[in-house]
Amino acid sequence: MKLFVNIRYLIVPAMSLITISGILLGGIYAWTGVILFGINTAIDTVTKDIHHRANFDSDGNSYGIKLFQYLVMYFMLPVFILLQIVLAWRLFQYSSLTPIETLTFLGINYQIGVSGLNLIGATLSAALWAGLGIIYGHELSHNRKQGFLASRLIMALSGASHFTYAHVYNHHLDLGHENDPATAPRGRNVYAHTWLSHMGQSKFSYDLEAKKLRKQNKSFVSLENRWILGYLYSLPSIILFVWTGGLLGIAALLVVWSLSNFLLEALNFMGHYGLIRKEGPVLHKHSWDNDSVFTSWFFIEIGRQCDHHVRGETYFWELDDVEGPNYGIGYFSLFVLTLIPFLFRRFVEKHLQHWDAHYASEEEKEIADQFNLNTAN
Amino acid sequence: MFNLFKKKQTSYKAKLMPCNIEIIVDSGDTLLSSALSQEISWPHRCKVGSCGSCKYQLVEGEIKPQLDFGYVLEPEEINRGYGLACQTILKSDVEVIINLTYTQESL
Repeated sequence: MKLFVNIRYLIVPAMSLITISGILLGGIYAWTGVILFGINTAIDTVTKDIHHRANFDSDGNSYGIKLFQYLVMYFMLPVFILLQIVLAWRLFQYSSLTPIETLTFLGINYQIGVSGLNLIGATLSAALWAGLGIIYGHELSHNRKQGFLASRLIMALSGASHFTYAHVYNHHLDLGHENDPATAPRGRNVYAHTWLSHMGQSKFSYDLEAKKLRKQNKSFVSLENRWILGYLYSLPSIILFVWTGGLLGIAALLVVWSLSNFLLEALNFMGHYGLIRKEGPVLHKHSWDNDSVFTSWFFIEIGRQCDHHVRGETYFWELDDVEGPNYGIGYFSLFVLTLIPFLFRRFVEKHLQHWDAHYASEEEKEIADQFNLNTAN
Repeated sequence: MFNLFKKKQTSYKAKLMPCNIEIIVDSGDTLLSSALSQEISWPHRCKVGSCGSCKYQLVEGEIKPQLDFGYVLEPEEINRGYGLACQTILKSDVEVIINLTYTQESL
C-alpha cells in the first residue's frame, strides 16, 4: 500500500518526461504532449465515478513518504526548465532553416530540423505541460522556505511568479469574497476570468510589496521587492526564446505563457466558481471538490479544495473527502465544459442551486440571489 | 564544522505564557500544529501565514520563520519578537506569550 500511495502521484512527472522525449524525437512525436492531454481527458471522463480516500495505517499515520514526495516536486523544476529548453532547441532549428533529416542516437531514430506544423505541435505540447507546473507551484507555496522559492521559480517559467504570494496572502484569506481575484463570481466565463484573475493577483502582489517596503522605509524599486524579483525570475526564459527564435521565439513564449496561465486560472475558476463567503472563516462549503480518482492522482489532490482551504498546512497526500460541495466530475472533463461557457453554466446551475439551498448562510444566500437575478437578466 | 556531526535534537519544549503550559514541538513541526495536536486552543484561522491570528511573542529561545513575517506583522512587532505560530519551527526550547482568550470575533 505504501508503495502504491507514493507512486500513484507520478503520472505528471512521467508524462512530462514523455512530452520532452516527443519534442526531442521530433516529427509527428512533437505532438505527444497534446495527444497525452487528450488521452487524459478521456480517462478522466470514463473514470469520473471512481473515487478514493486518503490512505492511513491502523495508527492513523499517512502512507505518504514526505521526503520522496518533496524530492519529486523539486525534481519537477529542472523538468519544466528542460521542457522550455527542448522547445527552444526546436525553435532554433526552425529559425535557422536546419534541413529535416532523420538521425540515430543509441539506436533511436530522431529528427533534426522541424516543420512549421510540428513546431506548432511542440509549442502546444510544451505549453500544456508547462501549465501543469501549477500543481507543484501550488503545493510548494504552502510548505517551508525552500519550497516557497521553488514554487516561485516554477511559476516564473510561466511568467506568473506573483502567484505564490497572491495565493497565500490573498486567495487563502479572501476566498469566496469579492477581494479575491481568483474566485470567479457567477456569470463570469473562464476566458474573462483568466485575464481578471491573473492581473488581479499581480496587482495584489504589487500592493503587498509596496505596503511591506513602505512599512520598512525601503524603496519600492529594489531587489527586495519580490513582485519585481518574480518577473526577473522569468528573464532567463525570455532571453532563451529571443536568442533561439527571435520574433518567432517571442511568439512561442507568448503561446506557452498564455496557455499555461489559462490552465492555472481554469483551475482557480473550477475550484470556486460562484461560491460566496460573507465575513468569517473559510469553511469546506467555500470550495468545490473534484476528487474522481484520475483527477486526484494526476493533479496531486489539488482537487480536494474543501479540505485544503481549511487545512492549508496539510500535505496533499493527507487531504481527504470532507463531504463538501462536489461537481461529481474530474478536472479534465470539467475543463472541457468551461471552454464552452453556456454549457458550463448549464452544467453548474443545478450544483449552485444545491449550494444555495444546502450550504449558504442567510447572508450568503442573499448575495447569491442577487447574483442569480443579475445573471438571469 | 563539527556541528555537522552533532546529533540533531528531535524535539523542543515550548512554554506558553501566561497560562504556563508546556508543550513538545517535534523538530520541523510548526509551533501551531504542535499546540493544536496537544489540544491547546491556540487562536488560528488560515494556517498558511496570511491572517495573523496565531500571533505570539517570543520571550526566550530561537525560532526559524518559514515565511517572511513582514507581510503580516508590523516592523516594531517583529523587533519585539512577535511571530506567527503557523510559520514557526523551533531551533531551541522557547518561551512565548500568547493570548488564549482570543476569539475569532476579536481578531
